[in-house]
Amino acid sequence: MSFVLVQVIVGGLLLGAVYALFSSGLTLVWGMMNIVNFAHGDFVMLGMYVAYVVYTLLGAGPLIGAPLATLFLATLGVIVYFALIRDIMKGPMLAQILGTFGLALLLRYSVFWWFGANFLSLPQNIVGGTIAAFGLRIEAARLLAGAVALLVTLALHLLLTRTALGSKMLAVAEDATAAQLMGIRPDTMQAIAWAIAAGATGLAGALIATFFYIVPTVGETLAIVAFVTVSLGGFGSVPGALVAGLLIGVIESLSGYLIGAVYKDIVVYALFVSFLWFRPQGLMGKS
Amino acid sequence: MRLKNVLGLVSAAALTLAFTAGASAEDKVVKIGAILPMSGNAASAGIHAKAALEVALDIINNAHPELGNFPLAKNAGLAGLGGAKVEVVFADNQGSPATGQNQALRLITEEKVAALIGAYQSGITLTTSAIAEKYGIPFLTPESVAANLTERGFKWFFRTTPIATDFAKVYTDFLADMKAAGASTESIALVHDNTEYGTSVAGTLTTAFKEKGQNILDISYASNATDVQSQVLQLKEKKPDVVLMISYTSDAILFAKTMQAQDYKPAILLADDAGYSDPSFIKAVGKISQGAFNRSSWSVGPQGSATAVIADLYKKKSGDDMDDTAGREMQGFFVLVDAIDRAGSTEPAKIQAALRATDLKPEQLMMGYKGVKFDDKGQNILASGVIIQLQDGENYVAVWPKANAEKPPALPYKGW
Amino acid sequence: MRRFIWPAVLLALVIVYPLVLSTPFQQRLGALVLLYAIAASAWNIVGGYAGQVSVGHVVFFGCGAYAAMGAYAHFGLPPLVGVPAGMVLAVVIAAVIGVPTLRLSGHYFSMATIAVAELVRLVVTNTDYLGAAVGLSGPTVPRNVFDLSFVSSLPFYYLFLVVLGLTLLITWWVAESRMGFYLRAIKDSERAARSLGAPASRIKLQAYMLSAGLTSVAGAFYAMMVGFVDPESGLGILISVKMLIMAALGGAGLLFGPLVGAAILVPLEELSNSWLGGKGAGLTFVVYGAIIVLIARFQPSGILTLITRRIALITRYIERRTKARELRKQRPAAGADHAA
Repeated sequence: MSFVLVQVIVGGLLLGAVYALFSSGLTLVWGMMNIVNFAHGDFVMLGMYVAYVVYTLLGAGPLIGAPLATLFLATLGVIVYFALIRDIMKGPMLAQILGTFGLALLLRYSVFWWFGANFLSLPQNIVGGTIAAFGLRIEAARLLAGAVALLVTLALHLLLTRTALGSKMLAVAEDATAAQLMGIRPDTMQAIAWAIAAGATGLAGALIATFFYIVPTVGETLAIVAFVTVSLGGFGSVPGALVAGLLIGVIESLSGYLIGAVYKDIVVYALFVSFLWFRPQGLMGKS
Repeated sequence: MRLKNVLGLVSAAALTLAFTAGASAEDKVVKIGAILPMSGNAASAGIHAKAALEVALDIINNAHPELGNFPLAKNAGLAGLGGAKVEVVFADNQGSPATGQNQALRLITEEKVAALIGAYQSGITLTTSAIAEKYGIPFLTPESVAANLTERGFKWFFRTTPIATDFAKVYTDFLADMKAAGASTESIALVHDNTEYGTSVAGTLTTAFKEKGQNILDISYASNATDVQSQVLQLKEKKPDVVLMISYTSDAILFAKTMQAQDYKPAILLADDAGYSDPSFIKAVGKISQGAFNRSSWSVGPQGSATAVIADLYKKKSGDDMDDTAGREMQGFFVLVDAIDRAGSTEPAKIQAALRATDLKPEQLMMGYKGVKFDDKGQNILASGVIIQLQDGENYVAVWPKANAEKPPALPYKGW
Repeated sequence: MRRFIWPAVLLALVIVYPLVLSTPFQQRLGALVLLYAIAASAWNIVGGYAGQVSVGHVVFFGCGAYAAMGAYAHFGLPPLVGVPAGMVLAVVIAAVIGVPTLRLSGHYFSMATIAVAELVRLVVTNTDYLGAAVGLSGPTVPRNVFDLSFVSSLPFYYLFLVVLGLTLLITWWVAESRMGFYLRAIKDSERAARSLGAPASRIKLQAYMLSAGLTSVAGAFYAMMVGFVDPESGLGILISVKMLIMAALGGAGLLFGPLVGAAILVPLEELSNSWLGGKGAGLTFVVYGAIIVLIARFQPSGILTLITRRIALITRYIERRTKARELRKQRPAAGADHAA
């Protein structure tokens, strides 16, 4: 019994790391530009399809798929920023929701049109089977995704707190006009932020594709999880998203095992709502 | 410039006139409306169903002597209507009961369809068929299984597919035979999602199994799950003799992957159609689900048989292998068109009467039903299923009942 | 007086619409536009005027829908009973949800409302009394006129028109009242509004409850028209988003904004689906998504502001011309005077 419980918790942590992985990009643009990207789930979906295309064309796994997905999504992020985000950022919050929601549909159904609605998937052992140790069983693909989640969180955190670029980005987030007076170009900084955020999301998609199914509507399933993770962690807080992701993963896994799988989402949402009551700014957000 | 445009319009009009004038009675067209999910979560099923209907159209509208005595195949068009061709107007229900109704209304009043077929999701079939009922247009559902659909006292509603009570019979009989062959079938885990399909089928099966004195372990989960490890661990711990999966494709794929990761193999893995029939499932995780049993009414049959020819045509059309859902869709469409053919008219009341009088024999069907015959409520009382098995991880073969079996059932579940 | 001219024209158009475009599909389309306009207008009170972007309003929509179908399924009552019942339910639930969530600001409020809506959907999906995943249906065959089960959409159309009229009247009255003043102040800056002595929490909660009650009416009528509700169609997050984008597209915080938004989006959705949906290639949503993106990009404050600006131009142009004509008329007369 207790041993199964350990497996449940480990599985929950790995799941949570994945949640954190695909939420980090969302929290970054959210915190920096105060914009909710409703197309975030579809960015993850695009990353998955890049990994799929790389596999079908080159027969290659995430070693090539993940960097390409990162690159592709980063480029897309910059394009989306200059074509849409830069302008709707100045508008009311509703215009932002409108714009990114429209973008979500556009991306989702363009993929649908091109690839069809079939469920796709990468070969089962593309990352290398299951690791069995100490009586625990862990899928290598999930372990890889979890490890990358930690690395991405660390890298983003260091970027924001320890580099000149990060300080500039935060300065723009704090006060774009003041930053401009200091000689920082808000446009460039925000475009970079979008590139990084979308790139991280593409990376997440490519890694999730190694153990999940791929379908145009998959982003819908993932987007709400990302929203909850980001608000629980605190908007803009990358480490917050990691902690929140791990927490949600473990809660889901445990409640799924102990109470019943149909109730696990109920438990997560109920805890989330009641948590906001006590700490409206999230785990690590600024009040 | 403007003159040119006018000239173009006039000549186009003249051409259309010429064409319509040339269209005599033998070119008469019978329009049928098909409402299917072609976007959203169920799009995969809807798009395959569309391909199935297009193949059926090809079979009906063109001569297909290679299909032998299969109804409607031999000659081009409908003999009963002087060789009239059949046309299907497709509409997307977008997974919404309201949109389904809008499209039903449009198909009936603007496209003037003679009958409707659809709508995959039971909730949408419920609302769209209500529109057909109000307008007095026959509505046939080849695939929605909710029990309440035929309990509404509708006069224009028909259903060809087997429903949960039929599934229950298939499972109890099959497991009884397996028990007789030496397998243990005392405890059964029902793993199902909490959609309308999952809960209602699981409910009916629970009652049926309990009547037989079997132990039920109910494991329900929310559909489109992100992770199913907890459920697999529960199974691993409780060790039921039989695991019965009632899941759509997304979750079915995830379960198969997680079962391998957790090294869990039940002695008998039995699936209730849906996700396990989807060719995408077989492509994705067939190799690690070898030996899975599946309830289905479709099996390809021997080379050269009508079903094998149909399977071939379908593969050419859609690029995928024929599965049970697409097959049931196609079968329902054949039943509907057969009724129109016998009615010799596109008048709704005559089609309705012909549907009521339907009495198709197993050899006239492509699906493994015992026939098609509707009761007063519009339910096909001869609908039934067979058990197929994914023995090699690539193709299902019929294994039960003996009369339909191509190979004997192989136990235990092999997995990977 | 002039401020009433355009609303009067609009009203005349709306009354005549189903008689001119009178096929059953067009009439139903019209009824759906009005129905969604009711929901989006109700949302507008709290989302538009007060700037509290709720993405969980589907909960109240669901209250109405479930009350209407539940009244029939459990008590054999006409679903119409669900209108008052759903309203009471929605207002009570709004108070329960509103007290904790309205403390949150900006995106946190939006996210909390999403979470609450999902929570409610999941709970209902697992509640047998509410039909669980199967849902609840209305009367299959109308027993009497109170069941509101018509073949034609025309009765629904005019019914919805009256309800929409009432909703807009209430909205207008709220907007013109002291409450409306406070709501706009809160939208601009809640802190400033508080420091000026506005009872922000109480006002927000009142607006939220009013908005919830009106939203539930839309839900109840929706369920009556469709004759069915299940967790996806009555409590799915997409319905919330639809209310929001209709209001935003037309012009949030403007009286007729949601109506304009619904009048654009509903036909766009249905007609593009009719033309492209049957191809099964997802093109409907490519077109739909692209149009939404373009509007957000080039007209972020909504279509209505664009229209009013155009109308203002036209009105000014007409005024100038009539004035010029009058002047011209006067001038020769004046000249004649001089000659005499």
